[in-house]
Amino acid sequence: MNLSNLREYFKIAVKTIATRRVRSWLTTIGVVIGVFLIVSLLSLSQGLKNAVLQQLSMVGKDLLIVMPGDITDLNTLIAAVKLTDEDIKIIEGTEGVDKVVPMDYTSVTMRYGDSKKPILLYGVDLRNGLDVLKSDVGWSIADGRWPVPGKNEALVGSMVPTDIFPGMKAGTEANVKGRDFLVVGILNSVGSRQDDSMVGVDLNIFRAVTGERTGARQAMVKIKAGYSPDLVAERLQSNLNENRKRKIGQKQSDSSYTVLTSEKITSIVGNIIGVIQAVIIGFASIAIIVGGIGIMNTMYTSVSERTKEIGIMKAIGAKNRTIVTIFLIESGIFGMLGGIGGTLLGLLFAKTIEIYFQVHPIFYLTADVGPGLILFSIAFSFLVGCASGYFPSRSAAKLKPVDALRYE
Amino acid sequence: MSESLIRLDNVWKIYKLGELELPVLRGINLEINPGSFVTIMGPSGSGKSTLMYLLGLLDSPSRGKVFLQDQDTSFFLEDKLAEVRGKKIGFIFQQFNLLQNLTALENVMLPMIFQGVAESRRREKATELLESVNLGKRIKHKPAEMSGGEQQRIAIARSLANDPEILIADEPTGNLDSSTGKTVMEILTKLHRGQKKTIIVVTHDPNIARYSQNIVHIRDGQIAANHFKEADVLWAEDGKKP
Repeated sequence: MNLSNLREYFKIAVKTIATRRVRSWLTTIGVVIGVFLIVSLLSLSQGLKNAVLQQLSMVGKDLLIVMPGDITDLNTLIAAVKLTDEDIKIIEGTEGVDKVVPMDYTSVTMRYGDSKKPILLYGVDLRNGLDVLKSDVGWSIADGRWPVPGKNEALVGSMVPTDIFPGMKAGTEANVKGRDFLVVGILNSVGSRQDDSMVGVDLNIFRAVTGERTGARQAMVKIKAGYSPDLVAERLQSNLNENRKRKIGQKQSDSSYTVLTSEKITSIVGNIIGVIQAVIIGFASIAIIVGGIGIMNTMYTSVSERTKEIGIMKAIGAKNRTIVTIFLIESGIFGMLGGIGGTLLGLLFAKTIEIYFQVHPIFYLTADVGPGLILFSIAFSFLVGCASGYFPSRSAAKLKPVDALRYE
Repeated sequence: MSESLIRLDNVWKIYKLGELELPVLRGINLEINPGSFVTIMGPSGSGKSTLMYLLGLLDSPSRGKVFLQDQDTSFFLEDKLAEVRGKKIGFIFQQFNLLQNLTALENVMLPMIFQGVAESRRREKATELLESVNLGKRIKHKPAEMSGGEQQRIAIARSLANDPEILIADEPTGNLDSSTGKTVMEILTKLHRGQKKTIIVVTHDPNIARYSQNIVHIRDGQIAANHFKEADVLWAEDGKKP
């Protein structure tokens, strides 16, 4: 079987497909849907992963985050409410720790102009922490200036003036629990919707306003130069656990604190998105296989409609493998067209989403479409097409010429 | 030329309908000699179509043997049979049996594609063949756009694509009016005389039989008569009639 023959069989298959237009479209659409899902969702989730990882990469490697509770165990996360002041002291006293920036937050109602809305208010130790926020966490001011420690000044996330209090500007006033705050600065987006919706004040002011006078929900720890983040994290964890054991006995499990390094966060995020992507691939593959069953259905119909044609071809010298080839090419074309169509639609959709997020910068999201993903989708759908055509084409080849010719 | 082209040796074809066995051909012995023009005649249900399928290697006998150039075809695998059909036998059917999606040219090229003839060669050959049946101007047309007579001429061109020794025509004029039917028969006669093709025509129409030298009558699955003499007489008249 040479190439020139394949080209002829390809032409025959294309002509057959073209004469059954509606059915061919429907068959192809069956595959398009699955491929569309794979391409659009995978490229967006990959873009999301890139965006989150990029945000995380802005966080310095010598920064640790300490939270109460075990991040891998939801029960302890809910049960453990706060780091105590004693915990903060232990953190400060741990070898290798340069600065500790405790951070507390709670939900409050904020009034701005005529509107009153619930927001998440956080207090951060500005005197100690502003440097860390700027240089290690990567925060930057979009409009206005940084607040001054000890004053009733607020720093708002990038979405506060767009979504929560439309039109809010630096230099205006907002009120929380009867206390007026001067909104001095608006941050650039820090990457997540939740973080960008928060309002921040100095920790002491936070405590005075909310009445939550002790403790912190988390603490950022800047470690001294030359210390390994992993080793300091380990030591912090064991110091905190030992202290807790001393106080409440052996009952407590030994992981009631979580100390995250930036690498750990990166790997956690990577894993979560990896799982999401696996689920997407799983479901979308099922959709493609359903599309393949559609191809099989169409091919069986085609074989029975073309019984006579198969008989004619056999009478004038077509071998069984010729018949198989013609039908396989036909079903392969369905798969391939579905793959190409789905890829194009998926790209279009993903790019539309990307543009949407460029116009409405809730957070930074691009569609990451590599040539690998495109090749994979098209090759996979082509293979599904060929596989779906296998049994119908076998049954076409098995027809006896005389029976096929007599078929009306 | 003592060697026969096709020889049927005590051939039976029995169809099974559940428990019931229905013998359609019952012990046929027949030799087709190279260069002959044989008409197989018989009423419908006589088994003449079944006989045609066996002669054309489209079907295999239940009992007995079919020899092609003294080779026992019962040993041939399916693909070998397909190859032999493609190379040595050309078929012309009552229903024309052209592929509707393909143009006249593509239909005629198809048997050559199956035999792996090079593209330029098969295009040239198919064009020549279509010109020889006066369809040179219609090679890009599809069968549906053509008359019955034209379609049958495409089919004749197709049957000649691989220069077969044998042409088998099953009621070739059955779907045509008498004048186009006559044209088709004249083409077949010309092929017989000019190119020494062996021609087997299956028909129930006695007028068609007049073209041939050898008439085989089938009745109830058996050969009722095999006329050579009368056919010769008919053949001699052919110059003036019909």
